[in-house]
Amino acid sequence: MEKPRIGVYVCWCGTNIAKMVDVEAVAEEIKNVPNVVVSRNYKYMCSDPGQDMIINDIKEFKLNRIVVSACSPRIHEITFRKTLKKAELNPYLFQMANIREHDSWVHTDRAEATKKAKALVTAAINRINYHEPLKELSVDINPATLIIGGGISGITAALEIADADKKVYMIEKSNKLGGYTADIDLTYPHLSSVQQMLGPMIERMKKNKNIDLFLETEIKEITGYIGNFETIITPKNDNETKLSFGNIVVSIGLRSWDPSPLENYGYGKFPDVITSVEFEKMLLSGNIAKKDGSIPKNIAIIHCVGSRNKNYHEYCSRTCCTVALKYANQLRSAFPNASIYELFADMRTMSKGCEELYTITSRKKVVFMMFDQENDLPGIRKANINDNCEMIIELNEKRSRKFVEVPADMVILMVAMEGREMVKEVAQITGVSLDGNKLFIEKHPKLDPVATTTSGVYTVGSCQGPKSIPDSVSQARAAVARILGTIARGTAQVAGTTAHININICCGCQMCISVCPYSAISFDAEKNVSVINEILCQGCGTCVALCRPNAIDIWGCSNRQMTAELTALLLSD
Amino acid sequence: MSDFQPKIVAFVCTWCTYAGADLAGTSRIKYEPNVKIIRFPCTGRIDYMFLIKAFANGADGVIVSGCHPNDCHYVSGNFHARRRWIVFRELVDFLGMDVNRLCFSWVSAAEGAQWAKIVNSFTEEIRQLGPYKAYMELVKKDKNESVF
Repeated sequence: MEKPRIGVYVCWCGTNIAKMVDVEAVAEEIKNVPNVVVSRNYKYMCSDPGQDMIINDIKEFKLNRIVVSACSPRIHEITFRKTLKKAELNPYLFQMANIREHDSWVHTDRAEATKKAKALVTAAINRINYHEPLKELSVDINPATLIIGGGISGITAALEIADADKKVYMIEKSNKLGGYTADIDLTYPHLSSVQQMLGPMIERMKKNKNIDLFLETEIKEITGYIGNFETIITPKNDNETKLSFGNIVVSIGLRSWDPSPLENYGYGKFPDVITSVEFEKMLLSGNIAKKDGSIPKNIAIIHCVGSRNKNYHEYCSRTCCTVALKYANQLRSAFPNASIYELFADMRTMSKGCEELYTITSRKKVVFMMFDQENDLPGIRKANINDNCEMIIELNEKRSRKFVEVPADMVILMVAMEGREMVKEVAQITGVSLDGNKLFIEKHPKLDPVATTTSGVYTVGSCQGPKSIPDSVSQARAAVARILGTIARGTAQVAGTTAHININICCGCQMCISVCPYSAISFDAEKNVSVINEILCQGCGTCVALCRPNAIDIWGCSNRQMTAELTALLLSD
Repeated sequence: MSDFQPKIVAFVCTWCTYAGADLAGTSRIKYEPNVKIIRFPCTGRIDYMFLIKAFANGADGVIVSGCHPNDCHYVSGNFHARRRWIVFRELVDFLGMDVNRLCFSWVSAAEGAQWAKIVNSFTEEIRQLGPYKAYMELVKKDKNESVF
């Protein structure tokens, strides 16, 4: 191995790092660490000039190892690996030290934070001495795509892929396509018919020869990796079917929350307190009526039911405010003389045309009242006979600071959207992480919002966060662009960070075979050794830690590398 | 002893706890600077000999943290880590080492606050225990025999 010539770059990240860490002092001190040839600090290492600096230094100083001390490698490791590639250096001769998320952003003492940064950078430098150039493996891409969930996002993705003449397997748990969208009457803000829009799409789904539709079907397990996934499904009234596909789209949507735990709203107690989903079905059927069949004279719509509430869902469900305005408009058309009340916590009408809908609605004799979502929710009680209504909503109106009693014959609760019951299973089957709100985590919240940390798996629509129809459709098309790109390329590069066996040490105990979750290890009986299939190996390293004679090691996280990092981390502290 | 700044190393998996620590950063949650993270692909990768190595190089405490059961990116690595941990803890105890200086936890990618909490509480525990001089005494006692 050639002698390491290391270039170290300490990033300021504007003031994000530089404010809490003395980046200049860090760069100065590490000049003395063995094998460091160049040590610099710069405002934004990820910027073009920052990356060009690395490329020029590699050429000028014949650097063969690069350490960037900046943000989390989960954000920019790929960026800098590409930089190394541009400079014709193997991308794995690279290491990041995370001095932003794990240091400058979480500590308050500049001296301590700087000391920690020095330790982290020194550890990365010591480790990189033992980095080796790794090869990336090329895998073929099966052009078929599996789509889990047949709501508006799943349907959009399926049609888009099928129109490009590629195979789609659509798995839907229920007995029909369309998801929640199929239960919606009119869209906001234009109040156009959902059924006229969705109906033809579903027809196209059924007729398209590139789409295999599996209704009332669930996925139990998926094996494989990008380009080469497999699953066995048991469609209703049919035999077990094996499917092979190269990419996966998860579009399972969300479900509406059952508001019974919020007892102040009396859902389940008062027959005419209904959820937004129930009211939408009423609109779709064309018959808005109370449980007893009569017409409601006073209708109240309550916002933020279970959303933006720290006991239930802290997040905003995003679409409900504008949907509530849509309801007020539809109610006004149906009942010109009814009293309509919007009880809101904060009116959030983002997106094109939605604020305009708010203005239009406010001119239609709709009474808007504000309540305190955090400390003082409205309550509903049964009305007296002389009240001339079914229920009374008690409310401390926030803006006027007055106690108000609102008459109501029908109350519509704008309920929160939350993860579906099987979301954890789907997350596990597809290898995608969930956040604390049971929403799928994207690969990068800003720059890669439809990809996930598992290559070849995309999440689109509401299951990634509550969304409107246009946003869901945009995400579906974004994921499809990525998938068609991968299919067009025909191959994908997978990381060369796989395990490898020293057959001179392997004792043939086969313990590694029993722990490998990917069945990537087989046994060569003739040589009495285990053999790793590096395409199947995903680099978890479970076999490495288990191997009793220490015959297995792993590229990119070797025992030597980790020991070097560990010792330097402690000794430089 | 309250001024003592313990050296603590955390061996974490990249998918859950590392991401959780990243979230603590993006959420600007403040915590003690004593814990330094070493990133592994999976807790299943963590050879517990690294933990011994940490003490041999002057660590006062060690954390191992990964994905919650059933949330492993690699399906089952965290179960293997947990199973090994049970055996390892017994071994550490048998060798006369202080098991209170070991911490095993699950922190998901969504639990930034939980990570900060673990760092702070474990740092405080180790601060109370003081520097781990006893480990070096233990090594000296049996000079001729390798720890590994």
